[in-house]
Formats: sequence, structure tokens, C-alpha cells
Amino acid sequence: MQDEKEYIKALQNPHTQQKAFADLLTQYEKPLYFHVRTIVLNHDDAHDVLQNTFIKVFQNLNEFKGESKLYSWLFRIATNEALSYINKAATKNNYSTVEYQQKAVDNLVADTYFEGDAIQLKLQRAISILPEKQQLVFKMRYFEDLKYEEMSEILCTSVGALKASYHIAVKKIEEFIKT
Amino acid sequence: MKDFKLESNTKLNSGFTVPEGYFDSFSQLVLEQLPQSKPKVVSLFGKYQKWYYAAAAVVVLAISIPFIKSTDTTFEQVDPVTLENYLVNQSTVNEDEIVDVMANEDIEKIPIEYSISDKDIEETLESNPNIEQYLIN
Repeated sequence: MQDEKEYIKALQNPHTQQKAFADLLTQYEKPLYFHVRTIVLNHDDAHDVLQNTFIKVFQNLNEFKGESKLYSWLFRIATNEALSYINKAATKNNYSTVEYQQKAVDNLVADTYFEGDAIQLKLQRAISILPEKQQLVFKMRYFEDLKYEEMSEILCTSVGALKASYHIAVKKIEEFIKT
Repeated sequence: MKDFKLESNTKLNSGFTVPEGYFDSFSQLVLEQLPQSKPKVVSLFGKYQKWYYAAAAVVVLAISIPFIKSTDTTFEQVDPVTLENYLVNQSTVNEDEIVDVMANEDIEKIPIEYSISDKDIEETLESNPNIEQYLIN
């Protein structure tokens, strides 16, 4: 924990900021990319969201007061960026968010950077019809292997509520895949 | 597909991949896009700023000392002689006004001395053309 405090100081000090931020990029670009990608599905969209996320993080480094852990702060910003990206894109194309996500799943078939088979595609389809919160919880737990405690910090939701959401999501998805 | 269980079946991965070498160039791309740090503003006061503030505070205090002292003054602290001298020599208050605020008893106690000689009276009467008028009345 002491290390993280020192690291945050380095991120906030103008003299050490560039180096510390480059380290942060190296450490978090992959987990944050896949977190964003599971939300927006498409690589190009994930790329845009991830860039915006890191730029926003950089601009707000001095606002980070250490109330939460650094990774949960980063994941929270990435989540918000990804969700608002989807909502904006849906509005722009005159779709509801659900319709937009259905289209995004349809597009996965032809996506060069999606190597899923029929069952993986069906899983994505099953997820896309869940309510937003259940989708998030399921993706973070099932694909990203995040712990409930970590998810609780990121999503500002109690562990109990997250477990309930995940359980409901699993039931709905299993039902969908059976049919 | 019957009896599909997410937890017991072999875990499915998301199936997402990235272009080759994507993460090798991503960091650099972000670093190039970071907003340039703002030019540092150099204060006119520089590093002595706090001393300027301190000096200003001392000057303000020095100027305000007479005011602080004067507000402490009460009537009890003014000695009667100074007050009398002030009323006689400096005041714009005239004698009539002073008499107005004095109690009758005090006024009666004021000794009145006439130090006019008889000769002066005579001279004044002689030089006054209306003397007869006064005498008649």
C-alpha cells in the first residue's frame, strides 16, 4: 500500500509524471483494453475508448485523492467511458442501447478480431439482451475473472448485490443457450 | 443444447483478439497524444512573496495603532483641566451653549467680577449719543 502511495505521488509530481504514466500504461493497457472490449465488442471502438480513458486519467491525475485503489479508479473511468461511448453511438444511429448491442453482436461474425465459435457467439448474444448492470457484472466476473471485492470498488455496489446480479445473469444466459 | 452450465462446462473465453503488435505501439500512441503540460506561470513576487505579504501586514498594523489607541479612550480618562482648556481655547462651542447645559445652581456659583473703573463707565456714557435715551428708560 505504501508503494502505491509513492507511485501516486510520482504520478502527480510534474517532474516524474511522464515516466510514471508510461509505467501505468504498460501495466494497465491490457486489462483495461479487454475490459473495454468486452463492453463495446468491436476492436476499433475499444481502441478509441481506451485512448480516451488514458487521456482522461492523465488529465485527472491530480484529482485522484487515493480514496479508492488506483486500479479501481482506472477501471471505473474505463467503464464510464465505454458505457457512454455505447450510449452516444446508439443515439447517433437512432437505436436504443439494446438494439445497438444486438447489431454489435451481429457484426462479430464478420469481425477479423473475433475468433469465437458458434457457442461463444451465442453467449455474446445471450449477454447482449441482459440489463446493463447484469451484463457488466457477468463480463467482469466471467471473462475478466475479477473478484467480487474488486468489482464492488469499481462499480460502487455491495458484494451481495453483485453476487445476486451475477447469479441472475448466469441463469438467464443458460436458459438462452439451452433454447 | 441441453443442460448447458456456464460454471461446470469448460469456461468459454470471450473470443476477442487484437491486431498483431497492437500493445507494442499503443503506449507510444497515447503518450504522443497527451496534452502538453501548461507553461509554468512565474509570479512577479517570486519566492519572496510571503515576505511581501508579511511586510504589508506590518505596515497595516503600524498605521492602525493610533486608531486602536483612540478607540480605547473614554471620558473617564480625560482629565478635567485638559477638557477645560480645550473648551476655552479650541472649542467651537460658545459660552452660551456651555451655559445652556449647565445646571442653574452651577451657574449661580460662577463668581462674577466687575473690574470696570468708574472712569471707564463715564467715558463710555459720554461718548454714547443715546445716553439720554437710556437714562430716561
